[in-house]
Amino acid sequence: MLRSTRALMLCALFVSTPLLALDYRIETFSEGLENPWAVAFLPDGRLLVTERVGRLRIIEADGSVDPEPVAGLPEVFIAAQAGLMEVALDPDYSDNRWLYLTYAHGSQEANNTRLARARLVDDELHDFEVLFTAQPLKAGAAHYGGRIAFLADKTLVLTLGDGFDWREEAQNPANHLGKIVRLNRDGSVPQDNPLIGQEGAAPEIYSLGHRNVQGIFFDAEHNRLYSHEHGPRGGDELNLIEAGNNYGWPLATFGIDYTGARISPYTELPGLTAPLLHWTPSVAPSSLTLYRGELFPDWQDDLFAATLAERSVRRIRVRDGMLAGEEILFEELGERIRDVRSGPDGALYLLTDNPQGRLLRVVPSE
Amino acid sequence: MSSKPRLLLAFLLAVLLASLLASIFQTQTNLAALQALGAPMPLDVRVGTTCLDLIGFAPTFALLSALGFLLALPLAAWLARRMPPLRWLIFVLSGAAAIWTALALANAVAPMPTLIAADRSPFGTLGLMACGSVGALLFGLLGRRVRYRVQPTSSESL
Repeated sequence: MLRSTRALMLCALFVSTPLLALDYRIETFSEGLENPWAVAFLPDGRLLVTERVGRLRIIEADGSVDPEPVAGLPEVFIAAQAGLMEVALDPDYSDNRWLYLTYAHGSQEANNTRLARARLVDDELHDFEVLFTAQPLKAGAAHYGGRIAFLADKTLVLTLGDGFDWREEAQNPANHLGKIVRLNRDGSVPQDNPLIGQEGAAPEIYSLGHRNVQGIFFDAEHNRLYSHEHGPRGGDELNLIEAGNNYGWPLATFGIDYTGARISPYTELPGLTAPLLHWTPSVAPSSLTLYRGELFPDWQDDLFAATLAERSVRRIRVRDGMLAGEEILFEELGERIRDVRSGPDGALYLLTDNPQGRLLRVVPSE
Repeated sequence: MSSKPRLLLAFLLAVLLASLLASIFQTQTNLAALQALGAPMPLDVRVGTTCLDLIGFAPTFALLSALGFLLALPLAAWLARRMPPLRWLIFVLSGAAAIWTALALANAVAPMPTLIAADRSPFGTLGLMACGSVGALLFGLLGRRVRYRVQPTSSESL
């Protein structure tokens, strides 16, 4: 009986796999984007796309790229992983037209992640304000984090990185290296941040012990904040972020160093929050979203993590708040995926990371 | 043993020694940093991690030190023949310079600021260079030309 049940399940698996592969169609919505990093959807149907080389592009509703980049951007430090990163609209964008940008600021010798906002008026940035610069400035051009999410109270959380060489600083509450910070939308510090009042602690800190967090999504319906971060060789993590928690880097990790050296003998320690799941070997997760659209009913409430190394999107099934398996999608593209977003039209949008990057639109095949 | 195989063996043993020492040094500096952050570090964890790094990290360092030694050790041997009183100093400095150069080149080529964790601080860099010096000294010791003095036979002495 058990054997026949297993056989039936195997048959179902083999039958369902090709059907799933035919369930979607990938369209090229826009092309000719130079290392695009993030996409945001404007209420008028147009889209904004950042290019890591320091340009913000407007994409018309028909997918054509406005040949003139948006004017009024600040000077951006561009090298290796450094450049212009996130673009996100204010939760009240229709009223205030604020959009938020993250970028690497400084020089090769002294730089870090900066958050700024500006109003988009007549396709130009106005009222530009620097809201936050991660401290301390450090050398090199690696591990900036740079993703934004808005919480239920409309405060924003910004992900940061450890700068690679400063991994132990992810445990130091006195600075912003390897942290997620929470700010009011004007850059001020919310007075209910978890480390407020702790002597010597940076008041902006929301969580600590991170390596390089390049994906964050707030599920308002279930009041859950998910993030993922790059591990070294192995140990990429999906985390459920809670205020004040320590996520362990580099004290506990499933990854090892690129040289083959151990980063830590521990994968868990008391007082450190374990990941919901880890990817070993690394997939290099670069962006996180949760699908809530009408075009793919089966994907409802599932998390989608874009990956660079695996050149895919990981669909992480979520059922009743629990993770319920994964599916690897879009490997047939063979391209690094930098961003994944659930579009207002119900389609899933992807950015491919290369000098001739594309904005792709995933829709049902029929 | 003729000169070339003897030198090759000395070179390989120098790389091996430098890599083993560097791996042990890398592990201990890393564990010390974790300990400073509050991680428990009992002896069995320390020994186990050291062994894992000898398997995982030492080959990486062997590659780097081999590249550095390839240029530095023949040059050191040539200089040592011309300046016999400075022989050991020459090998100490050449081993250190070989590792420093290899680390600098690796950091220039690798996408991350610093490839090897121990190399992130001046103390760590000096420690790795010292491992290179020990390896180079072994090469100087094993690669020495052995000179045999011809002893007169008893009949000749008569």
